[in-house]
Amino acid sequence: MGENLRGGAQLQNDTLRKSLRTLKVKLVLLGSSGVGKSSLALRFSKDEFRRTSPTVGCAYLTRVVHLRNVTLRLEIWDTAGQEKYHSVTPLYYRGAQAALLVYDISKRETFIRAQVWLKELEKQYIPGSTVIWLVGNKGDLATHRQVSVEEGQSLANDRGLFFTEASALSGDQINELLLAIAHRVYECIGVQQEGLSEWKETPLVDLRNRDKSSRLASCC
Amino acid sequence: MSQRTERRGIHVDQSDLLCKKGCGYYGNAAWQGLCSKCWREEYQRVRQKQIQDDWALAEKLQREEEAAYASSHGAQTQSHPQSTAPQSHPGHASLGPFSKFEEKKTNEKTRKVTTVKKFFSPSSRTAPKKETQEGKTSSPSISRHASFDTDQVSKDFVDFLKNLQKPGREIHKQCRAFIVAMSSKKDLSADELSECVQDFYQNMADRLLSHYKGWFRRTVVVISSSDSVEQVMDQVEKYIMTRLYKSVFCPETTDDEKKDLATQTRIRALHWVTIQMLCVSMDEEIPEVSENVVKAITDVIEMDSKRVPRDKLGCITRCSKHIFSAIRITKNEPASADDFLPALIYIVLKANPPRLQSNIQYITRFCNPSRLMTGEDGYYFTNLCCAAAFIEKLDAQSLNLSPEEFERYMSGQASPRLNSSEADWPQTGTAPGVTATNTVLAQLNHNLELLSGLSSRQETLMEAAQSLQADLLSWPAGVQQEVNNILEKYPLEILPRTVSAIDANNVDTDNLPPPLTPQVFAG
Repeated sequence: MGENLRGGAQLQNDTLRKSLRTLKVKLVLLGSSGVGKSSLALRFSKDEFRRTSPTVGCAYLTRVVHLRNVTLRLEIWDTAGQEKYHSVTPLYYRGAQAALLVYDISKRETFIRAQVWLKELEKQYIPGSTVIWLVGNKGDLATHRQVSVEEGQSLANDRGLFFTEASALSGDQINELLLAIAHRVYECIGVQQEGLSEWKETPLVDLRNRDKSSRLASCC
Repeated sequence: MSQRTERRGIHVDQSDLLCKKGCGYYGNAAWQGLCSKCWREEYQRVRQKQIQDDWALAEKLQREEEAAYASSHGAQTQSHPQSTAPQSHPGHASLGPFSKFEEKKTNEKTRKVTTVKKFFSPSSRTAPKKETQEGKTSSPSISRHASFDTDQVSKDFVDFLKNLQKPGREIHKQCRAFIVAMSSKKDLSADELSECVQDFYQNMADRLLSHYKGWFRRTVVVISSSDSVEQVMDQVEKYIMTRLYKSVFCPETTDDEKKDLATQTRIRALHWVTIQMLCVSMDEEIPEVSENVVKAITDVIEMDSKRVPRDKLGCITRCSKHIFSAIRITKNEPASADDFLPALIYIVLKANPPRLQSNIQYITRFCNPSRLMTGEDGYYFTNLCCAAAFIEKLDAQSLNLSPEEFERYMSGQASPRLNSSEADWPQTGTAPGVTATNTVLAQLNHNLELLSGLSSRQETLMEAAQSLQADLLSWPAGVQQEVNNILEKYPLEILPRTVSAIDANNVDTDNLPPPLTPQVFAG
């Protein structure tokens, strides 16, 4: 968040000068059904300046995040969490730069399930090409907590993941999480230019939109 | 080329059944009288030569084109006269080369000419060849006698590139050279072909990108939206894939076709799967929902009819949007992936889209990869792949059925709908099953009523028509009768005609009182 605030006016100058580099980032949400993947996705995309009409679904959403010297266009891919679709989900995270493993802190089985997803993910991904983030959702249900913060943190440490507890309901930690992911993705992958495909838009239109959206972003 | 065809003995007038080459095997008219082996040899040879010729021609053409462009852009009049000229007589342009061709072979039957035409037309090789003959008009347009579609795409492409001026020319040159090169690679495996196309995309995109970067630095000109790399790449893809479609869609070197058939049979065998088994949150009894379902099915079926990978993706996206609408209407909240995937699976099962696997393979192989891995289209396409994969692996567990039940349904020994009426199926299945049957019956009854109403109305109509006919028949007789009656009643008498002489003053004046005469009263 601080990034955006600090960025403010200077960011616009920067983007103008640097011919507006926008990178596309594919972010996949994984987790059992009912852990709040879709709510997270909605939260992530909510502040975005949207040109298109309101979406009918929240399975595919986008969000533009401005960092100091780059703009990331996050494409959020929701996946079907039902167990029976488990076998087909590898198709989703092919080519993803970030994967969010979501579990519900008030339901232990979703945490266990998340570990199954993780195993699957580790089979597929090339180390260093995907940022994997463990997210304990429903932080607002702390009273019914079944998975402690420490457990989540230690799993993340063991497997070299990043970890955050958040609440899609209250919006707690959502923006922080989003920015942290953006930073991490840019650090890990963005530096190898090939990792992220540049998003080419009409430069002129882009300019205006960028201004608007950055204003939006910086006031949140 | 012509000498070769001559030597090949293209004349079949002797109509003998043996191979023209005299190898002792039977020939076939479709192979111009050769046996399969000789035909293949001959075909390869001609093709090889054609390819070489075309390379030379393409190069020559490129030089001409460059010269033409240079001259047209030298004048500041822009490319408008250029762009209109070739379009004004496309028919003529495509006829040109063939009239020449036929000229040489006047001794041949017309049937032969068409076979030769057919022989060379599937590949895009003819295009550059013709252009050299038309080369004097220095038009960069490609005119072929092929389908209208292809012509249209070529024209659009050329028009699009004209706006780009110099880079446009470069792009066009590259694309054509690529298509020519591809036509010589038909024997490669599908993956190799895919690699060629993808390499080409990559090179083209890189070059465009570096070009535009330079461009931005040099000019402060407002760049129109058509200049963005992505758009150029879309056009390039459209042009190339329209041309290559026939040779690379479901090629014989792969088992795509077999997979298509397998999937089709599989989906047919799964006809009994209900919306409830898949836990789809769509209520088809809401008219708006069922409308969206029908549209989604139409869109996913339509996919097969498109040639360009991106257009196919467009169909998938439209289908997905309809599904989202259907779920939204049913649930009154935006659909998540948890709802969407089952719904898409249901739609695929209902639609049984033609050549599903081939289409998926084709898109995967020849679409611009950035479209598949990312972006909205990519997301929906991934979902379709998931649906197809799921249907392949679908088992009892994924439908919440016992393996025995699944087996029975698959083998056709039982149907979930029949079971539901026997009431040995738990409530989850019964209620909807019964209502489904009831609605169908109700619909049937309703239709029957409508039909019987219609038939009775038709009967009355027929009666009325018949009586009208009878009336019409009797009418002239009646009129005749009446006329006769009147004639009888008032026979025609011819009275002696009294000639009245207006001038004669003496006719009536006798009965008239004497005219008034002025009287003068002496006052």
